[in-house]
Amino acid sequence: MSFWHNPSSAAKPYVDPTPLPDDIPKVQELGVTSGPLKSAAFFIGAYCKDYNDDFMLCKAENRDPAHCLKEGRRVTRCAQDLITKMRENCLAEFDKHWNCLEWNNQEYGACRKPERALNKCMFEKLGLVKTIPGTPEGQTPIHEVKNPILNGVQK
Amino acid sequence: MPVPWEALIPFGLVTTMFAAAGTLLNVSKRAQNQGKPVRYHLDAWDEMMMDRDKRLTGHERGQSINTIAPESFATNSKWYTERA
Repeated sequence: MSFWHNPSSAAKPYVDPTPLPDDIPKVQELGVTSGPLKSAAFFIGAYCKDYNDDFMLCKAENRDPAHCLKEGRRVTRCAQDLITKMRENCLAEFDKHWNCLEWNNQEYGACRKPERALNKCMFEKLGLVKTIPGTPEGQTPIHEVKNPILNGVQK
Repeated sequence: MPVPWEALIPFGLVTTMFAAAGTLLNVSKRAQNQGKPVRYHLDAWDEMMMDRDKRLTGHERGQSINTIAPESFATNSKWYTERA
């Protein structure tokens, strides 16, 4: 049997007892945490739509984890690509927005101002638009409402 | 009508103690959250994401925008070493 040891206090580096076989390419996972991911979510949706749809279709085809590894790698790579571009083009707005989310329980409603700045920058630099799926026809989506009624808790 | 001045001392004490309890709890909670407000209304997804944050940065509230995950991320899932 094996125990989990905290890697930061371990005497020697941890060795994976069951590594993936060598014929599966090694993937560098996305290192972005929840706040920045939430901030970038709609742009990942816009930028990586094809890869994400492909992955979901593949999963619908077969739930076996080995079946969709290739599609999964593409999804990871696309997200990394987008985050790199975001950091190059809109780092200041991005930082401001995800820090705001982090200080407001990661709720979009409380951070519309930095979000507008980020949306503007992303559209100007990368041509990506935030669209909320399922918004009713002819209605202003909530992130474009000028004076939203619900905009965070007063502190 | 006479005012019960003596009652103001315990009233002040009780008020101070309520304030002290609230302030101490707030300070303690924020200290555990890297100075940020406490997360609330967490569902299974949020908890999973916070677990992932911990694996990436070493703390549930730690955040990073590195494109590539640190090397330890590949092996520091507790599912790896749990007994089957």
